[in-house]
Amino acid sequence: MFTRHFKKHLTAYAHGELSPTEAGRVAGHLRHCAACRAEFEEIKLGIRLVECLPSVSAPADLWDGIEAALVREANRAQHPVSQNQLDAHTHQPTNPLRRAARILFPEDGSLFPSRRRAFAAAFAAVCLALVAGSVWFYMRSSRPTWEVARVEGAPRIASGRIGERGRLAVGEWLETDAASRAEISVANIGEVEVEPNTRVRLVETRLTEHRLELARGTLHARIWAPPRLFFVNTPSAVAADLGCAYTLEVDDAGRGLLHVTSGYVALETDARESIVPAGAACLTKPGTGPGTPFFEDAPEGFVESLAKLDFEGDRASLDAVLAGARPRDTLTLWHLLSRVGADERARVYERLAALSPPPEGVTREGVVRLDRAMLDAWKDNLEGNWLGGSTPAVRRVWRKLWQ
Amino acid sequence: MESGVLTGESTTGEAVIEACKLGDREAFRRLFEKYKDRVYSIALYFFGGDEATAADVTQQVFLKLFTRISQFHGEAEFTTWLYRLTTNTCVDEQRKRKRVQQFGEGIEVREPRERRTQEDRLARAEVAHAVERAVAALRPKLRVVMLLKYFEEMSYEEIAGVLNLSKGTVASRLNRGHKILARRLGHLRGELVRAEQES
Repeated sequence: MFTRHFKKHLTAYAHGELSPTEAGRVAGHLRHCAACRAEFEEIKLGIRLVECLPSVSAPADLWDGIEAALVREANRAQHPVSQNQLDAHTHQPTNPLRRAARILFPEDGSLFPSRRRAFAAAFAAVCLALVAGSVWFYMRSSRPTWEVARVEGAPRIASGRIGERGRLAVGEWLETDAASRAEISVANIGEVEVEPNTRVRLVETRLTEHRLELARGTLHARIWAPPRLFFVNTPSAVAADLGCAYTLEVDDAGRGLLHVTSGYVALETDARESIVPAGAACLTKPGTGPGTPFFEDAPEGFVESLAKLDFEGDRASLDAVLAGARPRDTLTLWHLLSRVGADERARVYERLAALSPPPEGVTREGVVRLDRAMLDAWKDNLEGNWLGGSTPAVRRVWRKLWQ
Repeated sequence: MESGVLTGESTTGEAVIEACKLGDREAFRRLFEKYKDRVYSIALYFFGGDEATAADVTQQVFLKLFTRISQFHGEAEFTTWLYRLTTNTCVDEQRKRKRVQQFGEGIEVREPRERRTQEDRLARAEVAHAVERAVAALRPKLRVVMLLKYFEEMSYEEIAGVLNLSKGTVASRLNRGHKILARRLGHLRGELVRAEQES
């Protein structure tokens, strides 16, 4: 079996230059191809490096040089030229620079009469003096910002109340109280609704990365950019958009709940990644990181056992998870393969294989030793089962366990 | 000639171009003011931070612009025409320099700019400095597409129009350019993060 890679399209993908269909193909491929993901990271590094180059201003005296060149030609143009320097039909000089000079300086050969030149010099000196005073203001105003619209109540940015609209700069906090809500325009790639009692900060915004920090509260994100351009930091994990809409909640203890309504989201730390498709959810906790994702229509007992297994180290709960797993819960079982010990992994394999036999080339031995290619191949095969509707059992478990 | 046609109009509107063709001084000056920084930036980074060459090339571009404006008939966008002039002038200038260099007088790679002595202490300036040299070391055909993309913020289609290439070729050159930069400057990843935090 051969896989089509998209390495030649990754820059165009990062620049948003692919059609929606092509971008969708690349996004899907990036989800399970480690080689292309590594290459994409390299491309993004290249983009970030070039973005480091500052725009520069041309020297102030450039025009003088151009003017001097034109004046020289104009002076020559004022003098008689030999017939072989004139066009036979137009009787204009054949040299284009001389022609331009003759047009530009028909009489005096200068763009600026001397009094205007003196005025220009004085004006330039005043401007120069103003520049120094403007630097401070420029440095502040040139920080990238996102537009924030008030939806209800009195949202605050950097402790100051906004009117109907405000601007959120990099480093600033947006806060809502119990009676206020706001909506953030995420550069040109999406929107984030901020619910009451939420504290969120703009960490970064540039071509290759847009990042918020959610300290507490609830936000709903709708992103239409290519995957892995929009991120939300939480106290226990980072939500990386893979082309989607989702809701993210963080409580006062830093624990989080991700609920995906379309597309995919990766909830990740350096050590662990949970891929959460539409209709699924994932809990996350400081010190542990993201738990195992599960579908929201899973039975309550299944979700509760999974939470105990993930966050309380209750290995006995694995029995209930395996027994309660439905065909769609292969999402959960597939993630568990790499999160349990070798003995338990064999049991997870058996249950997963019973619900959805592995594709050709994927063996029990390979899976138990966590062969990456085999795990990815099985995931690709399972993804078709992971699409479908849901009902929110998760919310009851979330409240019961942690609230 | 007075410049009444400019009042309240965009700098590159049809009337302004026509005014330039008729020798309207103010129209020329406005075109220069609008585009000088962008042309200079491309030239500066094309020549690895060599300010003197960048200034020289910028002057050449505008002198050519003024002398050839009558040849612009609006078949393409004005900016397409201007940036084609800019990239061609950069490439021509580099060719000239290579020829000179063959006779032992070349200055192909000059010492970087000195004007940032103080800023160089900052991580961002150091990274930018390294990137500047790495961009200058790219092959001209890769360098030009990078500069048009990042300094003119052109789409692939616009770049393709300026350089008479297909969009696919533009994409491919940008892909290669980014990968080369990432591989040459991968060791700066840490500094880059610090620089981005400082900015």
